Amino acid sequence: MARALAALSATLNCANCLLEPVLKLRTERVKLRVQAEVDISSLGAGLPVRDDNTVDGPLLRAFAPLHRSALGIACGLVVGGLICAATLALVIHGRHPNVKLYLLDEFFWGYSVSWLGALIGFLWGWVVGFILGYGFALVRNAAVWMWLTVIRSRAEMEQYSDFLDHL
Amino acid sequence: MILLNSKLLGIVLGFLSGVGLFLITNFLVLKGGPHVGAHLFLLSNFFPGYRVTFLGSIIGFVYAFIVGFVVGVVLGAVYNKVAMA
Repeated sequence: MARALAALSATLNCANCLLEPVLKLRTERVKLRVQAEVDISSLGAGLPVRDDNTVDGPLLRAFAPLHRSALGIACGLVVGGLICAATLALVIHGRHPNVKLYLLDEFFWGYSVSWLGALIGFLWGWVVGFILGYGFALVRNAAVWMWLTVIRSRAEMEQYSDFLDHL
Repeated sequence: MILLNSKLLGIVLGFLSGVGLFLITNFLVLKGGPHVGAHLFLLSNFFPGYRVTFLGSIIGFVYAFIVGFVVGVVLGAVYNKVAMA
């Protein structure tokens, strides 16, 4: 019995001796793999990795879209107001023969240098200003969106350009 | 959405329009000729005191700055009001 126990103990010791290097080797491999993954993600092919996903305030403001309707309404009010003010100035102070503001009726149907013409000119100016402002905001937002898409695509391409080197 | 700084927009637009009128006026003054700025002179219908001379260009600068400033402030204020609504 005692002999059998001694033999079993010796066998277990031997098994431990054999398993210990294997376990050590496996632990080292896991450690190395984790370290390699951390290195790759932190280097990111030169791109810094941020712990949080927050974006700086000024950067966010620089790429924020314009409110199309708001800019349209504001531009319409300004253009309409300028045409109305110019018309009223001529109506009140009298017309200079060389100031041919009435030529606007070529484009603005119903416009004339009169009190009613000032109102009609304001409405026409509002329409034209709204289209200009809305169109400007639309094109500007589209341009910023395209620009951001290009920047993002380039950054992603750069990030994955040496992807095969890490395999 | 972006919110605009109304005063800053007014100052920028006012300065641009003022400098623009100042430069145009002085360009015509320096160019000379029999009828200096015959068409630009018509601005005096809206800007009393404006002439196509060096002094007139300074007066024009002031007028254009005021108009540009008002335009910028109104533009910014209305935009902000509508955008925040």
